[in-house]
Amino acid sequence: MGTRRLIARDDLLATMDRAVASKVTIISAPVGSGKTSLLRAWADRPGQGHRLAVMQVQRDQQDAQQFWLALLSAVRHASGTTSGAGPPAATPEFNGRAMVDRVLSELEDQRGRVVLMIDDLHELTSPEALDQLTRLLTNLPPNAHAVLATRHDVRLRLHRLRLAGELAEIRAADLRFTERETRELLDASGIELSEAGVALLRQRTEGWVAGLRLAAIALADHPDPEQFVAEFSGSDRTVAEYLVAEMLGRQPDDILQLLLRTSLLDQVSGELADLLTARPGSERILLALEDANAFVVSLDPERTWFRYHHLFADLLRLELRRRLPEQVPALHRQAAEWFVQHGQAADAIRHTQAAGDWPDAARLLADYSFSLTMDGQEQTVRALLQAFPPGADYPELALIRAGYNLAGGRLDEAAAHLAVAEAYAETAAPDRQRRLRVAVASLKLALAARRGHLAGVTEQARFLDSPVTGQSDEDIALSNDLRAVALMTLGTVEASLGLPGAERHLREGAVLARKIGRPYLEVRCLVQLGFASKIHSSATTRRRCQEAIALAERHGWGAEWYMAPALITLADTMVWTGEFDEGERWLQRTLRALQADTGPDIRQLVHIVSGMLQACRGRHHEALQEFSEAQYLGSQLEGSHALASQVTGWMLATQARLGTPGEAGASLAALADEQASSGEIHDARAAICLAEGDPAGALGAVQDVLDGTAPVIGCGTVVEAQLLAGLAHRQLGDQRAANQAAERALALAEPNRLILPFVMTGSRELLEALPRHQTAHAALLADILDVLHGSSRKADDQPPPQDAEELSPGELRVLRYLPTNLSRSEIAGELSVSRNTVSTHIRNIYAKLQVRDRSSAVQRARELRLLGGRPRALARRSPDRGDA
Amino acid sequence: MDPASARYTIRINGHLGATVLSAFPALVSRRHGAHTLLTGVLDRSALYGVLTEIEALGLDLLELRQLAPQRKSAESGDRRSP
Repeated sequence: MGTRRLIARDDLLATMDRAVASKVTIISAPVGSGKTSLLRAWADRPGQGHRLAVMQVQRDQQDAQQFWLALLSAVRHASGTTSGAGPPAATPEFNGRAMVDRVLSELEDQRGRVVLMIDDLHELTSPEALDQLTRLLTNLPPNAHAVLATRHDVRLRLHRLRLAGELAEIRAADLRFTERETRELLDASGIELSEAGVALLRQRTEGWVAGLRLAAIALADHPDPEQFVAEFSGSDRTVAEYLVAEMLGRQPDDILQLLLRTSLLDQVSGELADLLTARPGSERILLALEDANAFVVSLDPERTWFRYHHLFADLLRLELRRRLPEQVPALHRQAAEWFVQHGQAADAIRHTQAAGDWPDAARLLADYSFSLTMDGQEQTVRALLQAFPPGADYPELALIRAGYNLAGGRLDEAAAHLAVAEAYAETAAPDRQRRLRVAVASLKLALAARRGHLAGVTEQARFLDSPVTGQSDEDIALSNDLRAVALMTLGTVEASLGLPGAERHLREGAVLARKIGRPYLEVRCLVQLGFASKIHSSATTRRRCQEAIALAERHGWGAEWYMAPALITLADTMVWTGEFDEGERWLQRTLRALQADTGPDIRQLVHIVSGMLQACRGRHHEALQEFSEAQYLGSQLEGSHALASQVTGWMLATQARLGTPGEAGASLAALADEQASSGEIHDARAAICLAEGDPAGALGAVQDVLDGTAPVIGCGTVVEAQLLAGLAHRQLGDQRAANQAAERALALAEPNRLILPFVMTGSRELLEALPRHQTAHAALLADILDVLHGSSRKADDQPPPQDAEELSPGELRVLRYLPTNLSRSEIAGELSVSRNTVSTHIRNIYAKLQVRDRSSAVQRARELRLLGGRPRALARRSPDRGDA
Repeated sequence: MDPASARYTIRINGHLGATVLSAFPALVSRRHGAHTLLTGVLDRSALYGVLTEIEALGLDLLELRQLAPQRKSAESGDRRSP
């Protein structure tokens, strides 16, 4: 309803004011009760002491992510700080829980009170979104209030709020117009009517707002208002139908045609209306209708898009089908074409379906399903897929069904659909054929990866090396989306096989994803790129992982399952360089991101890193357990895996250090020749010899590693060999040789700062005995000794936490970022809050922890164990929430 | 007939015109005093679809009744009343 002739409903506004004192207000009343008008009137009053975040749920919204993105945008719009984090990006991997946390965090960071208004909530049909909304509403921060308008009571579980008196309700009876308000409405429209007439009108409509507004429109310029009311009152027809018929009967033909023909659109613009009515000037009519309060509202400040009041639109649609039934499919077809041309695929498909052009709709859906999914509209795609008539089978749709079966783990069904899709692709026109082949190849790769049947599979993806072509921008865009997905899948598979093409394809995929604005695909490629380079354990690996994680965090995806490879690889590089606390932190983050079906390669690395950390802290029993677990997972991997000898080597060395070198020696003797000849196993043999008091044997064991004849995974193995040799020389009393070995170890470790081997081999005394003037690596040596001293301290129990003033949830969130090297602005970006907010939190953190700078804050926070787990800010607020 | 289907009568306040009635193609309508009765065989999801239409069109739902399947005379019985 237009904003121009809203009458002041002071009593109702006062009711709203009272309601908003509680946490949540629900306005639940039938269509046309004036809910939206009340929201607008209340929102538009001057001098309000709060910010407003306003959103309207799209018609029949089945897509949780679309709902949440709209809500997040509304909250950001209210805060006026849309910069910084940028617009919320869609992702095919929507995480509702993380999204609710994000919205809560942004609400909390708003300065002052904020009122979240959600109109047409009954249109939200996604049960998932309703559950998430329940969680949002029951956890609103103290400065936030929510107002929900809905046609019927929705399935939100708000009983706890109700019991706490935090739920206010405004219902149909509260919204009915009184006689005084009816009079005011008529006066505002310049309608003269007797007291009796007003009373009769109100009685006939029972104060129903839509009825009275329709009557006011019909009465305006009516020659005899009293007679109109008398006739209306005498009729038994339903109010809306009677009045709409009256109103339409009084419209000139051009307006009538426009209303009827555009009624099948959810939103209409002048351009689109011109197309459907085949005449110009529609925008002028729409603007005039809105000004006349005729159930037309503009949706944007520029007034280019409009929508009809739902009730009005529904009646118009029925009228259109009755009056111009033969036109309906053609109108849908025209609308569909317009939406295709303007890149609104979902609307285009919906109208094509409505036109009954099922094969065309299937073709469109097949063409756009990848892009729509990348746009975060997977649930929309599923809804469109379900709208096809049951039983009818379109080969176009096989591709989509294959994808869903694959995602659902139904691999045989996926393969069957894929075969249909492949056959269908061969019948398509050249440009489409190319695209469909890319899509099929992409799914085949993914299927093969799921099955573990990887031999020869990457051959099929060769054609990816030729560039994208297409006749239109739309063709190229669709092709690019498919190509980026295919490159990601291919690179991931190649990486898991250790094939050389992996890095090139992943890098190419990341570059393409960035070019076409697909941050999700870019993150996925970068994550795999970081993981693929894990063997290098270098600055490059670290940089790649950090880049992937930073980009993901910018979009709120930092804790998603697909981040695990980058998180654990980063933890791995941290532990190698002796940053154990940091490594532990990233390991913990990995554990939070892991899912039940995370692949054995990732879980193996998790256990390796855990084992490394345990070993460095002198907890050899725990380390042995982790390495054993890693070895078991390694045996689950197809073929021999890159880290096999590393895991086995460390496991044996740990056994030896635990005082059971005999057992370790027996296990070693049982190894296959291929593995036994690796550098890592030679190192293990040396460690066993040292534990058995056989330094000469140890020297013999590492000989092949030192002279470069034994194959090694990386430089770390050689560093380790040098250190074991040094330890052996010390046992033999040859300090000079020991010093030389230590110096060679330092030289090898220097480029990548490989500190881990010094800690794992227990080389503290070896290094301490090395005279400072004899080393060219004094700085590294000092750092390593610091770590060695620190790690021995770490093995003891930390001091018990002391009391400190409790940090707020917002402060805890910021605190988590202090150990990183992110600047305040960058932290603000990660959390999608302003830099000022971060600065305020940091000031409070310093005050509460009684420290003066960041590093001492981190140290203090560690002592208080505030950094160990993720602070569950929400959990503290309502520990019994039922969705954990 | 679908085993889950049943014959329902839906009573709505006021007389429905041709436009609104076109929203209920599966139902037969009949005036009954100042009310309209919509009758037809519906399965569960069709029934909820009808209720959604009634809500969307702002109609005043007075009564929803499932007619016992064995009573073939239910309609004729209704017809006798004014």
